[in-house]
Amino acid sequence: MEQILATTLRSAAPLVLVAMAGVFAFRAGIFHLGLEGLMIAGAFATVAVGDTTGSVELGVLAAIGVCLLLSALYWWVIGPLGANVIIAGLGLTSIGLGGTAYALGAIFDVRGSLFTDVVLPRPVTGSTSGAGVIISEHSIFVWITPVIVLAAWVVLRRSRFGLRLAAVGEYPFAARSAGVNPSMVRLQALLIGGALCALGGAELSVGALRNFTENMTNGRGFIAFVAVIFGAWHPIGAAFAGLFFGFADAIGIQSQINITERVPREFVLMIPFVLTIFAVWLGGLWRRRSLEAEAGYAELREPDF
Amino acid sequence: MTSGLRRAASTVVLVVVSFLITALILRVSGYSVGDVLSGIIQGAITATGASTSSIRWAIPLLLIALGVVIGFRAGFFNIGGQGQFYMGACSALAISLGWREGPAGLVILCGTLAAMLAGVLWSLFPGWLRVRFGTDEVLTTLMMSFIGALVLQYLTAGPMRNPQGTGQTAASERIPEAFRLTGGSGVSLTVLLLVAGVTVLVWLVLERTRFGLTMTLVGRNATMARWQGINVRRVGLGAFALSGALAGLAGAVELYGPAARLVTGFSPEVGFTAVVVALVGLLNVWGTVVAAIFFGGLQAAILFLPIVTDLPPPALVLLHGMVAFLVTIKFRAVRRRRAAQAEAQAG
Amino acid sequence: MTAPSGPAPAGAPAVRCRSLGVSFGAVRALHGVSLELAPGRIHALVGQNGAGKTTLAKVLGGLQVPDTGDVHIAGKEIPPGDVSAAKAAGLAMVHQHFSLPPSFTVAEALELTAARPGGRAVYRRGDLQQRWRDDVAEIGGTAALSTRIRDLPVEARQSLEIVRALATEASVLLLDEPTALLTPVATDALFERLRHLRDSGVTVLVVLHKLREVAAVADTVSVLRDGELVLGPAEMSEVSQGRLSDAIVGPADHADDEVGVRAIAHDQETLLELAGVSSGESAFEPGLSGVDLRVEAGEIVGVAGVEGNGQRSLVSVIAGLSPLSEGSIHIDGDEMTAAAPARRRMRGLRLVPFDRNTEGVSQSAPLWLNQSALRLIGREGLETLYPPRRGWVHSVHSPGSSDRGPRQMARLLNDWWQRRSPLISLRQYKWQATQAMDRWRVRYDNVTQPAESLSGGNIQRLILSRELDSGLEALVAAQPTRGLDFAATEFVRRSLRGLRDAGAGVLLISSDLDELFELSDRLLVMYGGQIVARFDGPYDRRAVGDAMTGAVR
Repeated sequence: MEQILATTLRSAAPLVLVAMAGVFAFRAGIFHLGLEGLMIAGAFATVAVGDTTGSVELGVLAAIGVCLLLSALYWWVIGPLGANVIIAGLGLTSIGLGGTAYALGAIFDVRGSLFTDVVLPRPVTGSTSGAGVIISEHSIFVWITPVIVLAAWVVLRRSRFGLRLAAVGEYPFAARSAGVNPSMVRLQALLIGGALCALGGAELSVGALRNFTENMTNGRGFIAFVAVIFGAWHPIGAAFAGLFFGFADAIGIQSQINITERVPREFVLMIPFVLTIFAVWLGGLWRRRSLEAEAGYAELREPDF
Repeated sequence: MTSGLRRAASTVVLVVVSFLITALILRVSGYSVGDVLSGIIQGAITATGASTSSIRWAIPLLLIALGVVIGFRAGFFNIGGQGQFYMGACSALAISLGWREGPAGLVILCGTLAAMLAGVLWSLFPGWLRVRFGTDEVLTTLMMSFIGALVLQYLTAGPMRNPQGTGQTAASERIPEAFRLTGGSGVSLTVLLLVAGVTVLVWLVLERTRFGLTMTLVGRNATMARWQGINVRRVGLGAFALSGALAGLAGAVELYGPAARLVTGFSPEVGFTAVVVALVGLLNVWGTVVAAIFFGGLQAAILFLPIVTDLPPPALVLLHGMVAFLVTIKFRAVRRRRAAQAEAQAG
Repeated sequence: MTAPSGPAPAGAPAVRCRSLGVSFGAVRALHGVSLELAPGRIHALVGQNGAGKTTLAKVLGGLQVPDTGDVHIAGKEIPPGDVSAAKAAGLAMVHQHFSLPPSFTVAEALELTAARPGGRAVYRRGDLQQRWRDDVAEIGGTAALSTRIRDLPVEARQSLEIVRALATEASVLLLDEPTALLTPVATDALFERLRHLRDSGVTVLVVLHKLREVAAVADTVSVLRDGELVLGPAEMSEVSQGRLSDAIVGPADHADDEVGVRAIAHDQETLLELAGVSSGESAFEPGLSGVDLRVEAGEIVGVAGVEGNGQRSLVSVIAGLSPLSEGSIHIDGDEMTAAAPARRRMRGLRLVPFDRNTEGVSQSAPLWLNQSALRLIGREGLETLYPPRRGWVHSVHSPGSSDRGPRQMARLLNDWWQRRSPLISLRQYKWQATQAMDRWRVRYDNVTQPAESLSGGNIQRLILSRELDSGLEALVAAQPTRGLDFAATEFVRRSLRGLRDAGAGVLLISSDLDELFELSDRLLVMYGGQIVARFDGPYDRRAVGDAMTGAVR
């Protein structure tokens, strides 16, 4: 049981970090399907630079830089250049998945996995039994994730920037008439999200593990996205949804060890996806109701950017 | 007409730009763009069997992309073609392995119908959620796709695993040779006629039937369609079903054609590439045919490339991503006109 | 005191703009507009829809970058398209559309939009309420601060928009069609408030489109037509009503020919009947409760009411788009209470929806498809009303002659094929669309151009050409003239009258009392989802107005 809880925290941390990125994008009115690509780009950059320089800090900084750059490009394409948000987002995901796998072969000349010695610091280690297991052996990013969630809540719900962001996402006309440039606010939201995705990716590769593997995000970016919907676009809600999906993942990993004989592994792996559909369905119900309430405004909404 | 030409031109420009950017990335990471390019041309056109190979890869892309086109026509993003494709292939495989002694024609027919049915079911569930509850179909079709891949993995590793198999990746038994429509090349007259017939049929349905026009209206503006007395839900379900049937059909064609057995995670990119194909084809049937042949050629080339260079195959995924990232960009004139219209309506 | 001309005197005009020009593609929204507004007065800006009023307001407010010209507020030049600079110079703007996000609380919305200095980047809810408590005294005080915008009644939202605009020290208040959604009573209250502001030294520029309102509140008036300033600013006392109307409408438009509508052989027959209809409330409108309503052949029944009192529910219940909880609906004598929308359409129900741009046409779809939409709904249904027309029979070149022998056979075969074939002839669809649109004088270049390329009036004609077809029995026309210019309005009204005279039944829902008085044979008033009063002409504006505001229950 303790082991499951510990694994839950480890699985949930990258999900929650990326989900916060999703919350920022969603609040700014962007249906961000590029999270997966940003996340794996972050994971790769951390390992690639961290391993080359031998410094995990430099690795994380490089990951943040790469993700900021990709986010800015994404903003440029969907904003000033008017590309479709969903298609370009999926393209970004493909660029991330394909680009990292390509770079793995082209730069490091390996296929599959790149192992590394660098690892994020782990503040608490050593417990092997009892409740200590739950909090032991977690990387620093697991510890700061709750802080980031709280910070996201303050920024989104209790700051002038949050008000501007919400106005941009909900009713751009309001933002413009308040002297806010919606495009710039969206850029800021995407950049914040990019940095968070980089942290999530880094946690995935050098937080819980010590390697980068092709396609190692394995749909986590999309699951994080769903956590946003499940959590009603609210940072705290999304964090709990991410925690829940981390729990489902932990059960999956545990059952891989224990009950593979009875339940095929594939069905356990399906759980997050099935739950995701369920979550989107619920989230859709909620969203539709709120949209209906605003139908009087719907016709006034500006088309896209 | 001129606006159609302009769209085609802008799409070609954007695809070329995507290629240039990818070429730049290859160049920077130390590959010779000239070598890669000549390898692509050899692998897609000039080498022995290359053009057949291009067509072989174009066929599943085309069928799935036509499904995507139908979805878009009715206003839906069916991006779950991958899972529908897998489920189609699995169903056809189950029929073919379960009824080995059956007359070949009948088994193939039943297998194909089962494949289309499986594709329909796999897309109709998200479709139903969408029209009934307004559940966003982008995510649900994607999730159904992941689930489909796991189902395939389960079947090939479990119930349908070839007991004699020795390979590292799990694979099913081969279907009897009598059930195959093509040799290993994946192209034969039967398959070509079938695909051509389906393409023409899709074109007729979209452009020359009341259902097709209704789909267009619903896709352009569902509110207006409702006010006109059109049953928007039924039209939406129909579009999802057709879309899934085509992806399922692609699975059957793959099985009875080049594959003959199913391997875990085969053709992993075909679903997403088909979306790119449909977009590059301007969501138009004939444009999609052209785009499918083009991307089929690329797929054939990337398999050929290891013979001439050591380029890592994921470069193709990167390229597809680049095309998707850029292909929906609207050029300034279009955007300005749209902004002006929005403005004129508001004021 | 007249508006100063020539070089500005020391006490600079409150607003001055010179040779403003704005174009949207080929459309010239503003052209060479120069305007000077004296401080401390109420200036009205009038003109038809599309004359450029809203564009001018947006340019002054910094929301629209002009192609040419400059703007000075209180003597300071405003960089083009700079909302903040306009605000800093003392201009406050109240938009035609509500500018407050619906999910925000009042306090949050004020914090976002009012830009009062002294706010902190990160706040606590309590601080925010403290900061805005004094401003909202008149719309319910502190209690209102945590209310969400979407839960406020329309009048309160309007007041809040003004509160927002005046939260910073403003010397110029610009209101863009503030009366569009208000009841007469609320309009009077608003005008009283504007006078009050003027007396305290604020310059007010208000965009209006009803002459009665201009006369009631304005000190000076300016008229825009086709993007040019054709009159003013002129003192109200010096401008006659007639001159004002002429300036607005311009040289007489070519009147359209009467549109022929076939005679329907109905005498006294009920074409549309609602008995005791109730429906659940939608989120933004009350549901219907116990609505009884009959439309006979050959009459126009008007429905008056302030918007949002159940008119949308009424139309969508009749169309079959939303379910009813009680009561029954008959169309042309047949029970249609639970019938699908398509069946109602086949039975002869035609609709002119509220919002022509989203409900009436599909903007991006080609004209012919928009025009043919009704023919897509039923294989047997509308085809029986429209005998399918073969391209070769009805092509322009071959007049329908009485064919015999082989040609007759070919025609029968073709008939059979047309009926059986799942394929349709686009040529036939396009040809029929062309015929209908030409009959209704829709102005277009090409039958394949998208509907969004048409003007508002032409889109309405397109809708009429589709809905007023040979199968029509009863028409529900919702706000059919809203936003149309003078000529198009007249055309629509004439069409409705023609339809009535030909024996159809028309249910006319409008928020324009003058239109209702002019057209209706009988008038119903909706309030809170109920029909609260019924009138027969001649109508008493006062009584109808009272009923609209719920004064008679």
